[in-house]
Amino acid sequence: MPEHGSAPLDALPPTASGSQVWAALGRAGLIAEVYRDGAAGTGVDPGRLAGLLGAVDARFSLAATLSASVQLATALPLLATGRTPVARQALERALSGRATLALAATDVTAGTDLTALRTEVRLDDDALEVTGEKNWIANTVTAEHFLVLARHRPGRHFTHFTWVLVPADAPGVTVRPADSALFADSGAGHVTFDRVRLGRDHVLGRTGFGLPLFARHIATERLAGAQWAVALCRRVLTDTHRHLAGRAHGDGTLWHLDAVRQRFAACLVRVRELHALVGALAKEVAEHHDTTAAATLKAAAGPTVQHVLTTCGQLWGAAGFATGGIQELRAQAALFGIGGGADEVVLGTLADAAESVLAGLAPPDTAR
Amino acid sequence: MDARFTALLRPFLKHTGPDDLTLTPDTDLRALGVDSMQAIELLFAVEDTYGITLPDEELNDTTFATAGSLWRVIAAQLPEEAGARPDDGPVSAPGTGADGRATA
Repeated sequence: MPEHGSAPLDALPPTASGSQVWAALGRAGLIAEVYRDGAAGTGVDPGRLAGLLGAVDARFSLAATLSASVQLATALPLLATGRTPVARQALERALSGRATLALAATDVTAGTDLTALRTEVRLDDDALEVTGEKNWIANTVTAEHFLVLARHRPGRHFTHFTWVLVPADAPGVTVRPADSALFADSGAGHVTFDRVRLGRDHVLGRTGFGLPLFARHIATERLAGAQWAVALCRRVLTDTHRHLAGRAHGDGTLWHLDAVRQRFAACLVRVRELHALVGALAKEVAEHHDTTAAATLKAAAGPTVQHVLTTCGQLWGAAGFATGGIQELRAQAALFGIGGGADEVVLGTLADAAESVLAGLAPPDTAR
Repeated sequence: MDARFTALLRPFLKHTGPDDLTLTPDTDLRALGVDSMQAIELLFAVEDTYGITLPDEELNDTTFATAGSLWRVIAAQLPEEAGARPDDGPVSAPGTGADGRATA
């Protein structure tokens, strides 16, 4: 993001919530700039997405950045698949920052068992009815609309699910905040749909296309997570280096201790590995929805963040336990191994593609 | 089933073993490795390759059960001059890649 473009963010306090950050991004036109067509319909520009996530991460809490990341990478592109006036209007309000949007996929059932979700939509000729509950959804307490992944048929087959656009103020929608100090600024919460009746024009995309659309758009969220992970690790390592270089120890500083330097250098290797992986795979994910590439990025980002923040937490010593310090950040950053597909889920996706991944690693002259 | 369909399908059948597979209309897609994620990719590949949209009412487990059931739904969307007949019989698919070229 150009330096002059960050001025609207600098006007906000570091404690700004996710919805406040989103509103500022929208007012400045920075949300639309992330997309190749300026309107989320053809997906993200990876460089612009990385730039904006880095700018938000540098200024605000991890929870506030989560709020923006989910909307930028997944919720708005998913909403852009809608062709009805109600979907168009919701997208326009989200792009301008006048409204936040919640991606309500995770059900009361385990997030790692998506096809077991219970929220259902009953489809009539000109109306629909949604009943169910979604838990631990970012932007829940601020959202103007929910993108709800619901089943229109019993059973686990991938064609049994459909997206529905549900206004937060529709009769039967009840929202409550999640009991989480760590993620309050993301607007995290739980939402219940009690026989919510809407027009058929609130179906988003094709009936039965819920999981295919989810697979495509969660791939971008996994790219965003890896880009954000690089920015977060770089920021933490920069702060930690400054801390170590200014902390007296013997005749020098902590930075002069070989054990400290080596542990720090190992973190540099990890973040450079992730940075290189993002560079190699970003285009495949952003332009071709490559699910294997996205799973690779997600599987690398979680352990990298954990390694870097755990190491830096140790290097900060007792000072890391200050309110808002690195130990608090480390607890929040466990999100990278859980949200948007837990480590175990993305590793499973990668294992499924083992043969093609190995074939892709062969040097050109030994392709066989 | 036309050769383009079998070439398209072949990379998704992970459990076919080392020998070439002869696809028949009864070929069980799930038993040969087409799980949910694979089936999603297969759906996109079918629509992109043939330039068609499968009807919403055909998006169900029956359509994706066998090679023949999927081909019947595809063929119904193809123009008649494409020569597609839903009841086409077995087609051998020895070592063809996603682009339809022989890889052996």
